[in-house]
Amino acid sequence: MTMTSKTDAWTKAAQLPEAARAATGDLILVLADNKRVLGMRYSDWILGAPSVEAGIACSAMAQDEWGHSRILYSMLRDFDFDPAHLEHGREAGEYRNSELIDSPADNWPRLIALNLLLDTAMSVQFEALGASRFEPIHYKVRKLLEEERFHFEHARGWVSRLSGTEAGRQALREAFEPVWVSCLRWFGPSDDAPGAALAEAAIADAGADELRRRWLRRVGPIVHAAGLGLAEADGDAWTSSVAVEWTDWDSSARRPAGNGGSAGPDAATLASVRGDKNRSLLLD
Amino acid sequence: MKEERLYEVFARRNREDRFEHIGTVSAPNPDLGRVYAWQTYDEAKWFEMAVAPRDAFDAVNRDEAPFTLGPVATS
Repeated sequence: MTMTSKTDAWTKAAQLPEAARAATGDLILVLADNKRVLGMRYSDWILGAPSVEAGIACSAMAQDEWGHSRILYSMLRDFDFDPAHLEHGREAGEYRNSELIDSPADNWPRLIALNLLLDTAMSVQFEALGASRFEPIHYKVRKLLEEERFHFEHARGWVSRLSGTEAGRQALREAFEPVWVSCLRWFGPSDDAPGAALAEAAIADAGADELRRRWLRRVGPIVHAAGLGLAEADGDAWTSSVAVEWTDWDSSARRPAGNGGSAGPDAATLASVRGDKNRSLLLD
Repeated sequence: MKEERLYEVFARRNREDRFEHIGTVSAPNPDLGRVYAWQTYDEAKWFEMAVAPRDAFDAVNRDEAPFTLGPVATS
C-alpha cells in the first residue's frame, strides 16, 4: 500500500479521490449524528443525576457535544449535503448514530458506560484525523479534543466511584457489557473498505483494527481496574475478553442494519435533536 | 452522598494574574473534583485552574477551619 504524500494538503472535498471522498463525508456524518444524539443523552441527566455537580457536568458535556455536531454538520456543505436539512429535516432511519443512544440511558451506570466507551471511541477516531491531509477537519480536532479530555475524566472518576462497592461493580458490569460489545464493533471490521480508503488517502492515520487497539489501550485499564472483566492486558496492548459479531453491519452508518438494528432514534429523541418545536423560529 | 469531599477551586485568567479563590465543589474523588470545577466555573476562559481539598488547608490566625465562612469577595 502506498501512502499518499501529506505535503500537498487538500482544502476542498472536490480534491479528494472518489472513494476517500465518500468515506470522509460518511465519517463526518456518523460523527456529527453521534455527537448530536449523545448530547441528548447527557442532557437527559441534567436533572436527576446523583449530585448537583454531576448534573452540571452533564449540562456542560451536552453543550460540548452539540457544539461539535454543529461544526461537523456545517463541514458537510462541501460534500454536497444541505446542513439545515441534516440537522432539522431527516427521518429516524436516516440517522447514523450508534444504536446505543437511540433511547435515553435508563440508569446512571449506563450513562457512564456511554460516557467512557462511546465518547472515547469518537475521540480515538478524531485523534486519527489530527494530522489529516484533508485540512478542514484537522483544524477542528484540537479544540474538540481539549473539551473531550474532561468527558473522559468524568467517566473515569465515576467508574472509580461506583466500583468501590460490590453493588456498584455489579451495576457497572450490567451496564457496560452491551455498550462494550457495540463500541468494539463501531470502528468497523478488519477489512472495512471505508476505513481503508481513509487510511490510504492519509485522511485518517489508521484503519479499523488499529483504532480499535487504541481504544482498548485507553479504556481497557479502566474497566480492568474496576473489576468489570471485559479486557485483559497483553504486554503493552489490551485485548477484549468478548468477541465481536458482525451480523448485518452497515459500514456507512456504523450501526447494525436490517433486522439486527432498530429504526434509529426514538420519537422523542428525534423531535428534540431536530428541534421540531422550534421549527418556526429557524433563521437559517 | 457519602464519601463526598469539598474541593476549593482557584483560577486565574492570565499568566500575569494571581490565583483567585472562585468557589467550591463537592465530589467523591479528586478526578471528579477537577472535572466538576472546570465544568461548573466555566464563566471565563481560564489560563489556569487548580483545586485542593478543603481539609488540606490549615488555619493560621483563626480557630475555625478555613473557607467555612464562605469565599471572600474579590471585586
